[in-house]
Amino acid sequence: MELVERIISNPVMMEYVWKPLVVILILLFIVLTLVAYLVYAERKVSAFIQARLGPMRVGPYGLLQPLADLIKLLLKEDLIPAEGDRAIFKFAPIMSVVCALVVLAVIPFGWGVATITDINIGLLFILSVSSVGILGIILGGWASNSKYPLLGALRSSAQMVSYEVAMALALVGPLMFAKSLSMTAIVEAQRADHIWYLLYQPVAFLIFLVAGVAETNRTPFDLPEAEAELVAGFHTEYSGFRWSLYFLAEYTNMLISSAIAVTVFLGGWSFPLLDRLRPEHPGLFTLLSILVFAVKVFVLIYIFMWFRWTFPRYRYDQLMDLGWKWMIPATLANILITGAIIMIGQETLGLTKVTGGEYGERLVVPGLAGKAYFIGMAWLVLVPLTWIILAIINRRSYDFNLRAQRQIRLPERPATDDVFGKV
Amino acid sequence: MELAGTEAVFFYILALFTLVMAIALVTAPTAVRGALYLMATLIGVAGLFLLLHAEFVAGAQILIYVGGVVVLFIFVIMLVNIRAEINEPFRTYTRQRRLAAVVVIVMVLGVWYFGIQQDPFHLVRQGPVVALIPPPGAPPPPVEEPTLGGRISEDTQEVGSVLYTKAALPFEIASVLLLVAIVGSVVLARTRRQEETFD
Repeated sequence: MELVERIISNPVMMEYVWKPLVVILILLFIVLTLVAYLVYAERKVSAFIQARLGPMRVGPYGLLQPLADLIKLLLKEDLIPAEGDRAIFKFAPIMSVVCALVVLAVIPFGWGVATITDINIGLLFILSVSSVGILGIILGGWASNSKYPLLGALRSSAQMVSYEVAMALALVGPLMFAKSLSMTAIVEAQRADHIWYLLYQPVAFLIFLVAGVAETNRTPFDLPEAEAELVAGFHTEYSGFRWSLYFLAEYTNMLISSAIAVTVFLGGWSFPLLDRLRPEHPGLFTLLSILVFAVKVFVLIYIFMWFRWTFPRYRYDQLMDLGWKWMIPATLANILITGAIIMIGQETLGLTKVTGGEYGERLVVPGLAGKAYFIGMAWLVLVPLTWIILAIINRRSYDFNLRAQRQIRLPERPATDDVFGKV
Repeated sequence: MELAGTEAVFFYILALFTLVMAIALVTAPTAVRGALYLMATLIGVAGLFLLLHAEFVAGAQILIYVGGVVVLFIFVIMLVNIRAEINEPFRTYTRQRRLAAVVVIVMVLGVWYFGIQQDPFHLVRQGPVVALIPPPGAPPPPVEEPTLGGRISEDTQEVGSVLYTKAALPFEIASVLLLVAIVGSVVLARTRRQEETFD
């Protein structure tokens, strides 16, 4: 008994087991509630765009709809295909959800206590854990032992492997300025410099946003679950709670994609003029920083939902062409041109300096002239140059040029039948 | 490297996990299960890298091997034989039992001789669990100064600069080798009929 007591109430266990457990419980409660309401928001936004009302019956303005949905999902029958691989079938959705939720640990939701952990490979950690999440979808599709899930799984794995490359490469540009993979260090670098990296890296932001939509399997990239061709894609055979786990993972991933975009490109929880509050009212500052982060994330999520009701679904070859012929070359060009811009600004013009701070080395642009140089170069040189490079690479492709596609003529068959036909 | 305290506990857990998963991998009845066990093994190895304070290598390991290579493995397995291996399971064991037994005995003897007789690795002599549970009256353990997350450890920087200077040539050779492997597998997998259709 005494040994058990010593194990439970010793400072090491307190610091590394009990405290993190409490934080995890709080975070999970908040995020899972949020995700449930994201589904509600999705339905309301789609209703708004289509001039409908959306869910209105359960509670005022349908606000209790997520609760009703949850109860419905829990009460549904849990079907497992007879010939499928039962163990993997049960394991796959859990894997998807775990990979989505683990990532939440390193996202800086705000200043101070709201930054739960800060590890020095933060961004790399997020990318690698979410790449494992793909396996959940593939295995779920395979274990169902049915042709539609298998096709959906094959599509999704090809799509995600392709767009992950573009996503990771797009993040290299802003990292050249921040010089760190830690999420907090990236936010701090932007806050201290009074800049959002969106202004320095417009191409990378656009590509990250598109790749983020593709990674979360949302329209226009929702080919893995294209209902017209594949019933429901990889989760055709799933029902009840296991099905809702996949949805949970998908919406959490949407949240995470926007959180990364906000952290890397939109200054995270920092906001102009808010810093003056920090020395005198640290508590208020923490609260406001969380609020700022949440507002930025929700603006991006609204854009994701807006995409869904604006763009039609891509064809599969268009999807692959967009990934490999447009986005990956664009990210590579972005890295090269950004490197050149930084080098010219640093070596020739002397506009920057590298300082070590609380969070290690970073690139600082002190003067207004330097900021004007980087922003001007980004929008007036980087964007047109990338555009030209893409145009040169794709000068003979008909991927998105419907007019040209219509005019493609199949090679005419030799008209042997007409001339020497019936001898 | 001296193993003590929590580090030792985590090392033994991870090492055992990695070994068990590796054994499960080679004895797995189906290829998809095998790929899953391979994934678990690689995650265990990434954990061992973390223990060595090589965070970047651990992250890259998961990103490339688990997120890339294992996904491609499963992709290929699903394309190649979907139901065939369940209908007629392949032979997991060959008949070379005597040879295998000899090899294992030699390896165990080697580990015993070099590891325990010569003691090059400073094996742990005291129970690792003792450090976790201090006696009731003991003062609380000194709290280490937390290292800030932003600093990339110097090892990582060293890995980066070595990759681009000293190891540039082997790195390039390895990439050419991979390219050759890809081209070769495409050539081997395509049948003559497919070639004719495409030509």
